[in-house]
Amino acid sequence: MNEVVMRLGLTLSQIGAVMLVVLLTVALLTLLERKVLSWMQDRMGPMEVGPYGILQPVADGLKLFFKEDIVPAGANKFMFSMAPLLVLVPALIGFAVIPFGPTWTVDLNGIEFKPFVISDINIGVLYILAFASIGAYGIILGGWSSNSKYSLLGGLRSAAQLISYELNVGLSIVGVLLLSGSLSLVKITEAQNGGFWNWYAFAPPFPQFIAFVVFLIAAVAETNRVPFDLPEAESELVAGFFTEYSGMRFAFFFLAEYANMILVSCMATVLFFGGWDAPLPFLQAPGDLVWITGMMWFAAKVYFFLFFFFWIRATLPRLRYDQLMRFGWKVLLPIALGNIVITSIFAYIFPGQG
Amino acid sequence: MKFKKWFRTLIFYEILIGMKETLKHLLKYRPITLEYPHVKKTLPPNYRGMLALLKYDDETEKCVGCDLCEAACPSRVIRVVSAEVPDEPTKRYAKEYYMDMTRCLFCGLCVQACPVDALGMTQEFEWAVYNKRSLQLNKQQLLAIGDRAFPVKEKRLEFQHPNVAYFNVSFKDIPKKEF
Repeated sequence: MNEVVMRLGLTLSQIGAVMLVVLLTVALLTLLERKVLSWMQDRMGPMEVGPYGILQPVADGLKLFFKEDIVPAGANKFMFSMAPLLVLVPALIGFAVIPFGPTWTVDLNGIEFKPFVISDINIGVLYILAFASIGAYGIILGGWSSNSKYSLLGGLRSAAQLISYELNVGLSIVGVLLLSGSLSLVKITEAQNGGFWNWYAFAPPFPQFIAFVVFLIAAVAETNRVPFDLPEAESELVAGFFTEYSGMRFAFFFLAEYANMILVSCMATVLFFGGWDAPLPFLQAPGDLVWITGMMWFAAKVYFFLFFFFWIRATLPRLRYDQLMRFGWKVLLPIALGNIVITSIFAYIFPGQG
Repeated sequence: MKFKKWFRTLIFYEILIGMKETLKHLLKYRPITLEYPHVKKTLPPNYRGMLALLKYDDETEKCVGCDLCEAACPSRVIRVVSAEVPDEPTKRYAKEYYMDMTRCLFCGLCVQACPVDALGMTQEFEWAVYNKRSLQLNKQQLLAIGDRAFPVKEKRLEFQHPNVAYFNVSFKDIPKKEF
């Protein structure tokens, strides 16, 4: 009994810590995105709330919290309330399998647990992909249940886009899985230890850099961001699938979008860029201190990808719908499939490397 | 050549060019934003802002109630009620002077039309109000705007140009007209 309570407490505290960090990062991202975007466009961004506008996320949060919660007439109330949760929960639940630091097993009064990953399940990649697909349900249900043509169009676009690009995400990962021989994100990170020449984006026998580019493009599309932000195209569909949402429900959608961004960046880091591994071995602290620098490297990589998302958003215009579909099915899909074939051949010829 | 084009497509050459440009702007951060309520732009001296009625330096009104501004106004902003100066039957003044600033288009024709320079355009532009009626200004309000916008007042000329002053019969010593 005592052991069960201990285990539960440990897991809950781990979940709490991860959620805290993720939600704080989301709050930071809302500010950072506006700032970086405006710096790239010769603007200043938020400057009014606090010095240089650094308290803007707090003000935004308070505003959303106190806003009226509107349910439009003719909306399906149950679905309308469920949709934001259905988007938010899958976005946050993926962090359960992401290893943030070194793979240690700590023994605490006879209970073994891994401090830097909530649950090291052996199908981590599949788990994340499965829950990412469930997020699409939330988007399309939110679009359908609000009884608005803009929402419905946004939801439908989103469904088509997510299905097309999830395929590319899945196929671009297959190369990594072939090389590492495991679906567990912890094992994949471990296999890339010891410097950037071991990371799967650059590693012999066949660098997965092309797969990484495919993954990154598909990930941008998965998170509904510019240039693939058709589900929420401002100039065409008001706000897409969350046109009718306000207050906290809107905040949930918003939160989910940013949480998805972080999750996708974490995945790119873990799968292609070695997770918490330092680019050169001497940059990692020795012995027991390795977790500090390890987590710092992990955060640095994740933030680089997040910055890359902002960068792309500042640069590119939105794709047309047919361009989006053509690019997904006729360009990315063949590249991903070809990458699988070539990687399998290389993995067969050089079995020791993988 | 064909290979070069193909290679550029492969590495997203155009997108990389665009991303280089945005990164350049991020690194050389020079915002063109003016934080308006805190920092205000310096206006040019001929800025056509809020209209005002002016006074001479002896605190008498310049306006002689000639109605020319009313005639010149293209959107009928101005309404002048002209009257005689009580003790001087040949002099006139604006007994009432109304401006409906909701209609004004700040063309400055009234200022040009005024023969005695009684109208002026100030540099004021922050005239957003909650009540539309408060933009219908009377003479006192317009004079107050003129007082605060033009602290340096013109000296009253007892004798203007003799040719003009000849018609001004209210003066005691009538100047001779020069022929």
